[in-house]
Amino acid sequence: MLSRVASHLYWMSRYLERSENMARILDVTQSLAMLDRSADSGGAMTPIVITEAQAEFAETKLTATYANVIAFLAWDKKHPSSIRNCIEATRENARAVRGSITSEMWENINDTWILFQEQAKNIDPMLTGNEFFEWVKERSHLFRGVTFATARRDQPYHFTRLGTFIERADNTARILNVKYAEEAPDSFEEKEVDKETDYYRLSAVLRSISALDAYRDTYHDVIDARRVAEIMIFDAMLPRSLRYCMDEATKCLDDLPKDSGRIPRRIASEINAKLRYGTVDEVFDYGLKRYLADFLVDMERLGTAVNAAYMELH
Amino acid sequence: MHAIKPPPFSHFDEMLAWSEASPHQQQTQFQMQLQQFGGQSQSQSQANAQTLDARPHYVPYGNWLADTPSASLTHRRAQADLLFRRIGITFTVYGAEGGTERLIPSDVIPRIITADDWTYLERGLTQRVTAINKFLADIYHDQAILKAGLIPRDQIEGNSQFQTKMIGVKVPHDTYASITGVDIVRNNDGKFYVLEDNLRVPSGVSYMLMNRKMMMRLFPELFLKQTVRPVEHYPAMLLQTLRESTDIDNPKVVLLTPGRFNSAYFEHTFLAQQMGIELVEGQDLFVKDDYVYMRSTNGPQRVDVMYRRLDDTFLDPLAFNPDSALGVPGLFQAYAKGNIVICNAIGTGVADDKSIYPYVPDMIKFYLDEEPILNNVQTYQCRKPSDLSYVLANMKDLVVKEVHGAGGYGMLVGPAATAKEVEDFALTVKANPSNYIAQPTLSLSSCPTFVEAGIAPRHIDLRPFVLTGREVRMVPGGLTRVALREGSLVVNSSQGGGTKDTWVLGDEEDPAVNASESK
Repeated sequence: MLSRVASHLYWMSRYLERSENMARILDVTQSLAMLDRSADSGGAMTPIVITEAQAEFAETKLTATYANVIAFLAWDKKHPSSIRNCIEATRENARAVRGSITSEMWENINDTWILFQEQAKNIDPMLTGNEFFEWVKERSHLFRGVTFATARRDQPYHFTRLGTFIERADNTARILNVKYAEEAPDSFEEKEVDKETDYYRLSAVLRSISALDAYRDTYHDVIDARRVAEIMIFDAMLPRSLRYCMDEATKCLDDLPKDSGRIPRRIASEINAKLRYGTVDEVFDYGLKRYLADFLVDMERLGTAVNAAYMELH
Repeated sequence: MHAIKPPPFSHFDEMLAWSEASPHQQQTQFQMQLQQFGGQSQSQSQANAQTLDARPHYVPYGNWLADTPSASLTHRRAQADLLFRRIGITFTVYGAEGGTERLIPSDVIPRIITADDWTYLERGLTQRVTAINKFLADIYHDQAILKAGLIPRDQIEGNSQFQTKMIGVKVPHDTYASITGVDIVRNNDGKFYVLEDNLRVPSGVSYMLMNRKMMMRLFPELFLKQTVRPVEHYPAMLLQTLRESTDIDNPKVVLLTPGRFNSAYFEHTFLAQQMGIELVEGQDLFVKDDYVYMRSTNGPQRVDVMYRRLDDTFLDPLAFNPDSALGVPGLFQAYAKGNIVICNAIGTGVADDKSIYPYVPDMIKFYLDEEPILNNVQTYQCRKPSDLSYVLANMKDLVVKEVHGAGGYGMLVGPAATAKEVEDFALTVKANPSNYIAQPTLSLSSCPTFVEAGIAPRHIDLRPFVLTGREVRMVPGGLTRVALREGSLVVNSSQGGGTKDTWVLGDEEDPAVNASESK
């Protein structure tokens, strides 16, 4: 399989996953906006901070209202990670290798892009945003489903999945990092916050990674910040937890050519070992913020190693 | 019921023909349909002597059209548009801002060719392509045709498409043009003429295949009424041709594309996928010790045959255009050593140049000792002073083209041009006469086509794709292009052209009725 094709497939699924994650974050932002009606609230900036788009947003000279932030992250043409640009990049990467994916996969993503262009005209961030975010998630689910149901389990499939899980792990870590670590650097447990607001914030975080039901099933108890961190980092069965994503990424790498993959496989196994054999108590002793910062650095190393092993054109 | 606008009396229409009226005959539903369109005055003026009806090989289709409610047709046309858009059957328009990816309009009324007409075209095409391949082998080796004085030496050696680097290079089986797209039109005399031979990287075959796929999906009942010869095996035939181009067993074949910004990118991905071969860009390949390899996730892999969709000059920055970022450094050296086969061979462009076109009938006589089966269009070569003065004096009646031009760019259609445009073009020609040729304006045959106002005649051409492996092969038919603007003769997709499915009828039909007037 061509290195360039591997790279397009990997980025195709990373961008699609990114658009879905952005929709998840914005969906939550939009519902939190209803709790927090003060216009100059810092809360509106949270999704900008999570996705590290501070510089790009500053350039637009827009005020940091919920409506502006949502519009910017959803369909600003100049912001490289806006949902719009992620969908376009997914489609462009797919188009570059449309012969290496099934026609069902291509038609699905091409359709998404065509439909998006029609939809984008009629969206009001605060009124119909929700519907739109649901739609983005749905299209992403649909593509994954089509991939699952039609693609042969050979290299293109493994590269596609690898992109999904690396991007997803990165995103879950970022949500956790900003939602918690920013607010309570080391010992947020002791921080006195308005209990009611805290409940909504925590459940919003869980919802953003589709983990609210899983939380209830696992703990049968009130939503507690430490457990939220635990389920998002260590749960082996939750498809958006760091542990699950890295289990899957490690499996994908095991299915790729072994000779060229020595280094990325080693890094992935190292990251995976920390998740398999770690506990939430250790994390809080070490400091959640530090722990997540380390994780993001590890993920960057992994991304670089994957690129060097399979995709670089030497 | 859709009204059909009749073709002008002077046109050859593929579907409709004027004939002597027989007053006792009852009007068929199809004839009534023909009269519904606004252009009744013409049929009335002809009414006493002439009536209009479908040609025999179009009768089953005409009857079907008459019986099909227009709502059903409109619905299925909309479905076709949607499918094309979803599948992303697009081409890229150069020089256009923004939305450069466009759909190529596909008309749902097929162009139908009789079995006899096709037999004739196939014989003629085989002869023509065989002679051209012999010509290419000759001019890069012995140059017998130049020594015989049939073509002036400077016409070849001074031609920018003549690749001096190819002189003496051995091409396997002397097959230079493995894939040829020959543009054929039917004039109002009912005869076929070859307009040009595309020997470099002819495109359009994917539209031929998609048109058929779409027609079968949308109108399955039509294919039960008549035997339409299949074209779907073209990719298999192409792969066989490519594999036969080398003596290596089980060769690694790849398709080289300039990338997704190329106008024919859809076709490149489509063909690679259909043949099950790798679609590569220049950056995916490298040359080591005069062998060509592709960079894969498993490490380097040898490449034996390359179906390239990239022009000569971009293939290798070391041998040709040094600025090319699309090619593969060292490719030519590997090629010259016989370590990779490139299809089509480098340097085929010299034979499809419009200044060489007038000599093709001579080539057929010289190499094959046969009379040309297909007609050439009379061509004035502006490099000749006598031809130049004729062209300048009659420009408004002629089609004037650049000798290396393609895609409908850089040409003047005299009868359709304003006086000012003719004047300006004359100055351009005078400045560099040898860069131009001119031909009489053929009145391309028309075929009923869906347009906004209903069904109306539009001009068409035909591009069959001829494959040369150990033998010459082709699927019956080709790509029919249609000029969608009323009166326009320019069928190129970049200039507002569309396409039609092309049906060659099976032998058990008896379409001989039409054969006499087409030969």
